[in-house]
Amino acid sequence: MLDFLYQSGWGAFTVLLFFQIPFVTVFLYIVYRKSFVDSGASDTASKKMTRVETIWMSGVIGIFLLVNIVSIPYFPAISTSQAAKLDKDIQDVDVTAMSWSYEMSEREFVVGRPVRFNAKSSDTVHGFAIYHPNGRILFTMMLIPGVSKSSLIYTFKDPGTYKVRCLEYCGLAHHDMNDELVVTASSN
Amino acid sequence: MLSATTVIRNTPLFGRMFNVDTDTGLEEINAWPGLMIMISFVWLLIAGLLGVAMPVTQIFELDSSLFYGAITAHGAALAFPFTFQLMVGVSLHRAASCLGTPVTGPLPALIFWFMNIGALLLALAVLLGLNISYAVMFPLPIVGVETGQWSMGTVILGFTGIALVLVTVILLYPLQIIKMLFFDNRRDDLLLSPRSLKDPGMLGMAIAAFVLLITGLPIIIVASAVLLGLYGILPMNLITWATEPVVFQFTFFIFAHNLMEAMAIMVISAVYATLPLYLADGTRKLYSDRLANLALWILLVTSLTSFFHHFFTMFPALPAALSYHGNIMSWGTGVGAALTIFTITATIWKHGLRPDPGLMTVIMGFVLYIFDGVSAIITSNVAWSFQLHGTMWQSGHTMAVLIAMAMIWIGVFMHHYPVITGRTLNKKPGYWFVGLFTTGALGVSYSFLAAGAAGMPRRFAAWNQEGWMVYGNLILFFGLILGAGMAALAYDLYKSRLISEPAGGKSAVPAE
Ligand SMILES: [Cu+2]
Repeated sequence: MLDFLYQSGWGAFTVLLFFQIPFVTVFLYIVYRKSFVDSGASDTASKKMTRVETIWMSGVIGIFLLVNIVSIPYFPAISTSQAAKLDKDIQDVDVTAMSWSYEMSEREFVVGRPVRFNAKSSDTVHGFAIYHPNGRILFTMMLIPGVSKSSLIYTFKDPGTYKVRCLEYCGLAHHDMNDELVVTASSN
Repeated sequence: MLSATTVIRNTPLFGRMFNVDTDTGLEEINAWPGLMIMISFVWLLIAGLLGVAMPVTQIFELDSSLFYGAITAHGAALAFPFTFQLMVGVSLHRAASCLGTPVTGPLPALIFWFMNIGALLLALAVLLGLNISYAVMFPLPIVGVETGQWSMGTVILGFTGIALVLVTVILLYPLQIIKMLFFDNRRDDLLLSPRSLKDPGMLGMAIAAFVLLITGLPIIIVASAVLLGLYGILPMNLITWATEPVVFQFTFFIFAHNLMEAMAIMVISAVYATLPLYLADGTRKLYSDRLANLALWILLVTSLTSFFHHFFTMFPALPAALSYHGNIMSWGTGVGAALTIFTITATIWKHGLRPDPGLMTVIMGFVLYIFDGVSAIITSNVAWSFQLHGTMWQSGHTMAVLIAMAMIWIGVFMHHYPVITGRTLNKKPGYWFVGLFTTGALGVSYSFLAAGAAGMPRRFAAWNQEGWMVYGNLILFFGLILGAGMAALAYDLYKSRLISEPAGGKSAVPAE
């Protein structure tokens, strides 16, 4: 469940609805009622209003904190440093992006073995996004030329052919800037 | 008669919708704002056609450079000569009528001409092939010349246009607001509804002016250096610091990010200022000015440094600590927004509303604004950013925030319409506009966000894979509904009647 929420675009979409729907329901109900049903003043005691304000604000801050604290293990900075600590056997791959292709030191990987992607751009701003065979984005990196490498560790879980796409606009053939990685099941 | 009034009168079709009333002695606060608002809608028409062009090039698999040309011009037109110019027009009228200062002299004229000539030059450069997308991904313009995608001439032309627009946004407009707030003499004949900096409406305007001025200065310096280099006035080896991609990217996003935040502060302050005028019990007072001002200050403090969220996916080139800071500050803007939601809802709950199309436009614009804010803070979480950055989610956010802000300004404009033009609007087409425009905006926005969730890249001329075309078709469909909404508004403006004319239905005109 948490993996779905924090590691996929549709998970983000679910959280989006979770925030939007209660707001729009309550807000539009109040607008409708106080405009078209009974637009007179409500004599709600100011003490009660203050209590609603406190509950609302602490609720919002509480949920914001919860959503973000639970997301921390999914930060690439955190998962990368954990993987680096736990695993000695990390496969290093150097990626250089240029208009409009990738140079990669390796394109074949094994399920379960962590891969450290070290990526940079040699001309303009490019992206390096890996798509799971099911179409989900595993991660994307932004590569600004002249900046030290972007780097993170990812461990493939499923065998298959993974698509690589550039997600930063880089000129007239931007949409043709892609590549493929092959992930095979581990030998043991 | 002022020259701005003459230009409006002589503009075919649009002139009738925005004609300034010259009988009330208020021409000095109406003419330039009226002209700016009118021209902003001309740009919206252009942006709308370009918006439709994008899915069309994809459905019929036309040449991809058409798509990239359309997206560059569409984004640039929507952000600057439409939304920003609309905001300038409405806010200058609003400021003038609240402070009793005229909008005349060289500054408003410069704002108008710089913005529109700049936008025209950029549009011309795009037509000539400068397809750099609406966010300048430096050094793409230069790399594009080296790889033969467009010529150096188009880069110089386009950058000249961008420079004129930036000078308007970062220097001229904030200086005009500051001049009116602190230096111009108050004239009682122009003062319609006195306000001071203690009012949330005025406070937000002042904050926004200073944010634009201060956070825009770095990009003005860097862009001027680059431009002087391109003109050959400065030798290229003197400006290498400015053409460093990371320098340009950071100064660009510090500005572009805070531009949006300044516009947000400005637009929320406009909601705070307009809502009380429609309270049913005649109170004309927010639930709490203190809470409203607090929300603006929270928004200011948290938004200033939350721009790091544009760079999370550079890790570790952007140190993790700065990412976390950006993440926390971005969600902090959500706390400010929650406070705003409470103040607005409590005000409506406590005092009731007199429904009116202008007010409902503001309210539905506010709903869109909050909806968009949710999508914004979600991508500003570090974990989600790695799934969503560079996808249609981001385009959806950019577009939705512009639509939401524009909708609120349109609502505020509808409120001021009788004072500016001496005519009143009709309720029925007004409500049609609110309904269609809200439906279209929500539909477009959800289509973009769902496309992003499905991994569809933004600024990407190959929709015909992985089943992404569905989202493209939905965007086109809801985009046309947005267009129908604008048509209803145009009809409403066109069919407005003189205040003195006997009305079919009774429509009360609230004071400013
Ligand atoms: Cu690229």
